[in-house]
Amino acid sequence: MTLSADYLAQVFNTTIRYLTPILLITLCANICSKSRVFNIGLEGTLLSSAFFAYLVQNKVGNIWLAVSVGMLTGMLFTFIIALFIVKLNGQPMIVGMAVNTFSQGLTTFLLQTIFHTKGVVNDVKVTGLPKVNLTFLEEKFPIVYKMFSKLTAVDYLAFVLAIVMFIILYRTVIGFRIRCIGINPEAAKSLGLRVDRYRVIAPTLSGCMIGLAGCLLSLGSVTMFMQDISAARGYVALAANNLCLGHPLGAIASSALFGFTKALSQILQNVAPMQLLECIPYASTIAAMAIYYAVTTRKHKKRKAL
Amino acid sequence: MSKNGKGSGRTLSGLLDALGQPVIAVLISFLIGAVILFASGYNPLTAYGTMITGAFGKGFYLSSTLSRATPIIMGGLAVCIAWRSGYECMGGEGQMIFGAMVSALICYYMPGPGIVRILVAFAAACLVGALYCMFSGWLWHRFKVTFVISTLMLNYIANYVCSYLTLYVFRDPASTDINATQTGKLIESARIGRIDLPGLVNSLPDGLPFKEGLVKYFKGFNLHWGFVITVVLVILTWVLLKKTVFGYRSRMNGLNDRFALYGGVAPVKMLYVVMFLSGAAAALGGSFEVLGSKYRYVDQMIFSTGYAWSGMVAALLANFDPFGTMFASILLAALATGGAAMQRSAGIPIETVKMIEGVIMLLMSVKLLRLFAFRHKAKTTATADEKGGDEE
Repeated sequence: MTLSADYLAQVFNTTIRYLTPILLITLCANICSKSRVFNIGLEGTLLSSAFFAYLVQNKVGNIWLAVSVGMLTGMLFTFIIALFIVKLNGQPMIVGMAVNTFSQGLTTFLLQTIFHTKGVVNDVKVTGLPKVNLTFLEEKFPIVYKMFSKLTAVDYLAFVLAIVMFIILYRTVIGFRIRCIGINPEAAKSLGLRVDRYRVIAPTLSGCMIGLAGCLLSLGSVTMFMQDISAARGYVALAANNLCLGHPLGAIASSALFGFTKALSQILQNVAPMQLLECIPYASTIAAMAIYYAVTTRKHKKRKAL
Repeated sequence: MSKNGKGSGRTLSGLLDALGQPVIAVLISFLIGAVILFASGYNPLTAYGTMITGAFGKGFYLSSTLSRATPIIMGGLAVCIAWRSGYECMGGEGQMIFGAMVSALICYYMPGPGIVRILVAFAAACLVGALYCMFSGWLWHRFKVTFVISTLMLNYIANYVCSYLTLYVFRDPASTDINATQTGKLIESARIGRIDLPGLVNSLPDGLPFKEGLVKYFKGFNLHWGFVITVVLVILTWVLLKKTVFGYRSRMNGLNDRFALYGGVAPVKMLYVVMFLSGAAAALGGSFEVLGSKYRYVDQMIFSTGYAWSGMVAALLANFDPFGTMFASILLAALATGGAAMQRSAGIPIETVKMIEGVIMLLMSVKLLRLFAFRHKAKTTATADEKGGDEE
């Protein structure tokens, strides 16, 4: 294993590909937490939207339709979660776990009834999301080409969406209202906002980003669906959202951290057994949160001492 | 008479309050399950029919339902203990995995008589599970890492670490199959014994009219003593939670931690004690599964069966009451064994059961009855009197 520019470009590329789904989910988690909808159903939502996007692409073969079905699934599931938490006063933890359990059952059930397999569907004929063509860079800047090769349009869209989210949340009236509800629902209500309506609609709309993330998983760099393809990305995104303090641009940084740890477990494949490497993203999630807390409280203490 | 009527109506509604929601939730979710089955081209009635006979139809089926229920009950107890105290810990799975792994290894590698191995295995499993749970408690206490994230992440880590251990370190030396990722099989004496219920039924006096039927039913009954230990533990947990000062304090802690602090509950001590008990319970569930039914740790055995999650559903269904958790666990285990029978005979995927579980959870998250009762408040007060009167 030598550290060449070529190799680093490869690492960068892998990181980006792991980063973008988590970034999209983190953005959704961000809106959910701003609307005071504690959503741990992200995981199940992701799983279901990945499945339905793949299903449509496999059976119909229209990528636009597949992506929109994925987005609709994401929105539907998030809508159910938000409705149960906000309108029906459900216990958020249980609502989320219910959606996760249901999605696990649903995807495996349909996998078996439609594709007659238990585990992986990997059809060669199915085409994934179109890759952005950067061949014009190949001759002049081979490193840059390698850094950004094989990325789909949705990968780029994720970063654009982060910026759009920042603009919506911090530069528009609607964004101001959503943040206001997150900080103090009673005050928002006294201003005459329909708090419950915002708290349901905002997460629901952001659910489409989970749908996109699902498309990236099942139709992105690999076109296949397997059981538990989401691999705790939903939970990791929750942690990423905690780390970025609910700021959309911070979300890029925190999901980059998790993308990198995931890439790391991929890169080190020849060094250590796969099972132990798989632990890295999960362990580093906990470690990142702990370190973050330790650092911020130390800062607070210093400030207090001054 | 009207006074009596009101009284009985009140107890009736109390019972309805406790049982009504789970029953409604279960019924609705079965209905949704039926719709899904129908939509995918299966006959829901035959499906549920095979499910029931597959879960209780013969002594053998009943025993496999109960032995499946054992780890689920233990996982449920772990959730009861932790969630009642306000710690929304979801780490049952990780603790169960480590409990199973540790007890499998100790019973396989430790020298000495079987009973000693089993006891040491129980103790070690409890300890490891408790430590694993206390670790997430420590993360929360020291670094404010939320329980949800830390416990979920630790579940995955536990599964992968045990995967590694079974594949590379403790792989069954006897197995020649290169794909078999499991630890060695336990010797006969290092397993939990079987309950000799068929023998017991056989020794009943001959005059009893229903003896023949019982003998026939219990012929294949094959349940390990772990289930009985679990029932005892359920009773102990009930006593602990409902009849002791600790139970009261933990409940106060869950309802209102500031009030608990004011009342003299030491929050840190409470956290670690609760985590210890919860982790030990979950790990013991894994231990029973290994020593009682699988006799070895097979890679992914806890992760793929989702015992801990079922336990959580059970605890939620029962509103964190130990006895209720036990019955709900048996119901969920029956769903699973019945589902397996359904898959064998009718080719219907067992995952239907998981969907039903999900819907049950979703419906249990909401106070259905209260919503319902709120809307029909005026009506119910009138009808309750009438019903009470009828019973007289």
